[in-house]
Amino acid sequence: MKRLSACLAAMVALAVPAHAETLRIATDATFPPFESLDADGKLVGYDIDLMTAVCKAAALACDIQPAAWDGMIPGLMQGKYDALISQLTVTDQRRKIIAFSDIYSHPIFRFVARKDSGIDISPEGLAGKTIAVQTGTPMDKFVTAEFPKAKIKRYDSGSATYLDLTGGRADVTISYEAQIRYSFLKSPEGADYALTGPRYTGEDSPELGEGVAIALNKRDPELVKAVNAGLAKIREDGTLAALNKTYFGD
Amino acid sequence: MNWYVVTENLGQYAAGARLTLLLTVVSLLLAFCLAVPLAFARNSADRRISGAVQVYTTLFRGTPLLVQLFLIYFGLAQFGWLRASILWPWLSSPLVCAILTFVLNSGAYTTEIFAGGLRAIPKGEVEAARACGFSPLQAARRILIPAMLTRALPLYGNEVIMMLHATSLASTVTLLEVTGVARNLTLNYYIQLEPYAAAALIYLGLTAVLVGGFQILEARHARYLRLRR
Repeated sequence: MKRLSACLAAMVALAVPAHAETLRIATDATFPPFESLDADGKLVGYDIDLMTAVCKAAALACDIQPAAWDGMIPGLMQGKYDALISQLTVTDQRRKIIAFSDIYSHPIFRFVARKDSGIDISPEGLAGKTIAVQTGTPMDKFVTAEFPKAKIKRYDSGSATYLDLTGGRADVTISYEAQIRYSFLKSPEGADYALTGPRYTGEDSPELGEGVAIALNKRDPELVKAVNAGLAKIREDGTLAALNKTYFGD
Repeated sequence: MNWYVVTENLGQYAAGARLTLLLTVVSLLLAFCLAVPLAFARNSADRRISGAVQVYTTLFRGTPLLVQLFLIYFGLAQFGWLRASILWPWLSSPLVCAILTFVLNSGAYTTEIFAGGLRAIPKGEVEAARACGFSPLQAARRILIPAMLTRALPLYGNEVIMMLHATSLASTVTLLEVTGVARNLTLNYYIQLEPYAAAALIYLGLTAVLVGGFQILEARHARYLRLRR
């Protein structure tokens, strides 16, 4: 009986999240300037710096590790990760299965095409054209819903879409404006390309979400509170504003 | 368990299975056509010919298939002259790039399998063909190729199964074959077990059919080799 009680006590202790140990935070490191690997294989980018600052502000020990995009949300749900930071947009579908921190940015989504393409970004203008998009993202759901006559090619990573855009297999790709502007267009490969068409936000389509937040496990409300406290702190002390200025000049 | 995700998307899996079969069958047929002459070249007395074939087989057997696929799909697109050439309408297609990669890869393995089969043919059979007045082409068509295929059948059966499984890599270049469908469902429903388990069952079924087919072929055509032992 004593042994059974001890086992039950141990199970209860394991079931209750304890944050004395290091938190495992996953990111899809194929999305500069938000998250990517540098020449030494070290994680760098806006989200990495932001998460590090949040962990410091909330006095949490954090280990940010690269992960495959398609395994991140299932991994969070299964307890393989404690949090995800990867420009994850808050959508109704995602809210049903995972928790989110407070929103820390409101992204603008844009198309990018060759400067001389003359492509009209509209359902009619993109009819028969090829849109390259990262699979399973809000952009994927958005183009599927808004551009039914376009041919949509889906890729495992955010960077692969640009390879096929510059390779001539896609006419346009859609991503976060900041990602296009501060990563792709600054690269030698992006010299002949430009942002095109309207600026889309979550207000234009529910598929694009309410904003970007840190994803957390629904079973861990204490961690959600701790992360929100950390976010609030870096907002107040100017760290978040400094990060925005460093990366995006605003 | 969320098996409804699989049952609601059986149409996608069916389309994925059709594409998997298309990739497998077309790649194997073309690889077979490539490997038969190369197997003879691999055993050529001319060192330059056999050496050239060995370079090809070493290159494609010594590098991972995924790397080859990325080099052909993403790599070739970086050459402006190629994009401006008449080949680009084909090479711009992920299906063509995937088939080309699988053909070159399977062709390398199959060449070595068939070359081994040729080396295993007793000298007496070749001499008998010569004695019957067969030309080299006739000897190859009537004696050597059937004998080579019979001896290579068990190993070639493995290569066919490996090729079927290798088609799962096509999903990395936007093709929605069985694995691509499973990955898509994973990303849309945020579950992994059921979509990939369903994919595994499809591969298992296709593999079982192939294994059965090769067992029938071996029983029918390679029985005399077992009796000889």
